[in-house]
Amino acid sequence: MIPLQISPFQYVANGVVFSSIIVLAAIGLSLVYSIADFANFAHGDLMTVGAFSALFSVGFLRPMLGDAGVFGLPLWFFLALAFGMGAAAVISVITDRVVYQPVKGADSIGLLISSIGVALVYRALVFLSFGTEAERYGVPRQGPIPWVRETLGIAVTPRNLVVVTLTIVLVTALHLTLTRTTLGRKMRATADNADLARVSGIRTSEVILAMWLIGGALAAAGGVFLGLEELVRPRMGFDILLIVFAAVILGGIGSVYGAMLGGLVIGMVHELVPLFNQWGIIPVGSRYAAAVAFVIMVAILLVRPSGIAGDSG
Amino acid sequence: MSAVSSWVSETLVRDATERRIFATLGLITLLLVVGVLTGVIGPRFLLFQIALVGMYALLSLGLNVQWGYAGLINFSVAAFWGIGAYCAALLTAPNSPLGLGLHPVFGFLAAIVVSAFIAVLIGIPTLRLREDYLAIASLGLAEVIRAIILNERRWTAGSSGISGIPNLMSWLPLTDAATTAAIVVVLLAVVYLFLRRVHRSPWGRVLRTIRSDEDLAKALGKNTYQFKMQAFVIGSVIMAVAGAFYAHLNLYIDPSDLVPLTTFYIWIAVILGGTGSNRGAVVGAAVVIAIREGTRFLNDIGFIQTLGIDLAPLRLLFVGGLIILIMRFRQDGLLPPKDELIWPAARDESSTGGASPSGAVPDGGTASNGGDDR
Repeated sequence: MIPLQISPFQYVANGVVFSSIIVLAAIGLSLVYSIADFANFAHGDLMTVGAFSALFSVGFLRPMLGDAGVFGLPLWFFLALAFGMGAAAVISVITDRVVYQPVKGADSIGLLISSIGVALVYRALVFLSFGTEAERYGVPRQGPIPWVRETLGIAVTPRNLVVVTLTIVLVTALHLTLTRTTLGRKMRATADNADLARVSGIRTSEVILAMWLIGGALAAAGGVFLGLEELVRPRMGFDILLIVFAAVILGGIGSVYGAMLGGLVIGMVHELVPLFNQWGIIPVGSRYAAAVAFVIMVAILLVRPSGIAGDSG
Repeated sequence: MSAVSSWVSETLVRDATERRIFATLGLITLLLVVGVLTGVIGPRFLLFQIALVGMYALLSLGLNVQWGYAGLINFSVAAFWGIGAYCAALLTAPNSPLGLGLHPVFGFLAAIVVSAFIAVLIGIPTLRLREDYLAIASLGLAEVIRAIILNERRWTAGSSGISGIPNLMSWLPLTDAATTAAIVVVLLAVVYLFLRRVHRSPWGRVLRTIRSDEDLAKALGKNTYQFKMQAFVIGSVIMAVAGAFYAHLNLYIDPSDLVPLTTFYIWIAVILGGTGSNRGAVVGAAVVIAIREGTRFLNDIGFIQTLGIDLAPLRLLFVGGLIILIMRFRQDGLLPPKDELIWPAARDESSTGGASPSGAVPDGGTASNGGDDR
């Protein structure tokens, strides 16, 4: 095979887009880890649920709104995104009420195993409702933005820009919520020490509700963006779940800001694997991109079990 | 006759719930026998299912050593199963990429050696980790193994799989199906007795201590890491043997069985059967096969075909729902471990106070009554 001459910056641009998706997913996983205290294996399939909920809403939004667009994407897409985020937020709250809260003597392992059951149920419901085929949102195909291509020599489509911009908006909104609102302070306190928060008079049930809403909505956003960049597939979320776990572990389990940083790093590494291969740093190609992320995860656990940004201890 | 019934009441069945469970199992067995005799079920098909149950039971026993005895959350069951299956297939099938066509014994030996080696490699970084980290790390490493098998076509034939795997012991005067079923029954009995023996040994007692309180085990001067590694390797080797057997049962292997869903099936079998209980692992494996294969039958029923429902998602829904229901309502499983760690002789001594010779040991009568350590 003749190696295609692709600018290294192209891989970086791809990495930024993929990182955005991982960051959005990692925040929710990290929130559940810190506040509900278990590894939620259903988080990946929650992304799928969000992506397919958005796909469902496209069915009625598109005829209603026509193809009027903003920022190079049709308006219906943004509303479908909002719909998917809302649906996943509601579904994750319902799941918590129906499944996680009633598990008696819920230790973190019982919840972890329950969450595998939830993941399979989510996936089965997606299969039953939408079939097994990969789908598309039907956003018109777009070429790379010409001036970026001419000045930097890399291909960036308007949808890439929308994904990255909306991720920055969502992450900033979360940051402001966590630091500037009473709810955010309660969440941080509960994440830090749930028992102490409870005896200090914080209604932890309120915090847990907010956690599932935020985590579910962000997971859905990640799922919709993944579906926009690639395809909407019933296994899409589960397939990247371990990469998201890698990001969360890299950033330090339970730390939201760590999850953002970890997501950025893991997403970048995932997309830079072919480049590293070209440069001879690692002997494997892009087929092993996910495997490289897992190996990094295990290596991090080995030398620093609490992650980059985690507490020492 | 009374000796048999007292053996049953003392070692197999311990209370009314368990009696009901065994009665149900007996009824199903009876139905299967009647089905074969009346020609509804082909004997070949039944023998294949028995072999499949035996294979799943081996996997469940392997996981039970890791999770039930030592409390290790290993989510790489499918990977070790796949290592065993691929060792057997690559070495014995004449048309595998290696093209060696060796005797099946070498396949089993390679499965044991390679799986033990990889278990140590995976165990070194992960067994020191907190339990849920181990879950994630082992699932990640299992996916790495699956990616390698899928992508290194020169060595593993990739997604096209390996066919032409020879039958085991075709010189036996039995049909192929009967031979494999007989082999797995013997294999299962050997592994079962071995595990019961080691579980009751001091080694098994240390593992139980580690599972309920690792700090206590450390305080008692035990090198818990060593013990966990031994349990991990033993369990992984049993899984690989099951995989090697499967290669000779199915005569074809491809990477599609190495997906995490296979691992989750085995987890259901162990938790449903009763974590820590070997007999539970066997029963759980039978139930999981009943779910997997029973739902396959539904496809043949004309009514369901006319509805046009694809049954694969329904099966997934059922399995997921089952996990949730077990965790919520019967975390101890169908046959939770009771006094499996006590030597029969010791039990008789401790229960001499008033217990009739033929009576079952009363529940909770011993200090090491199990199944309550979660």
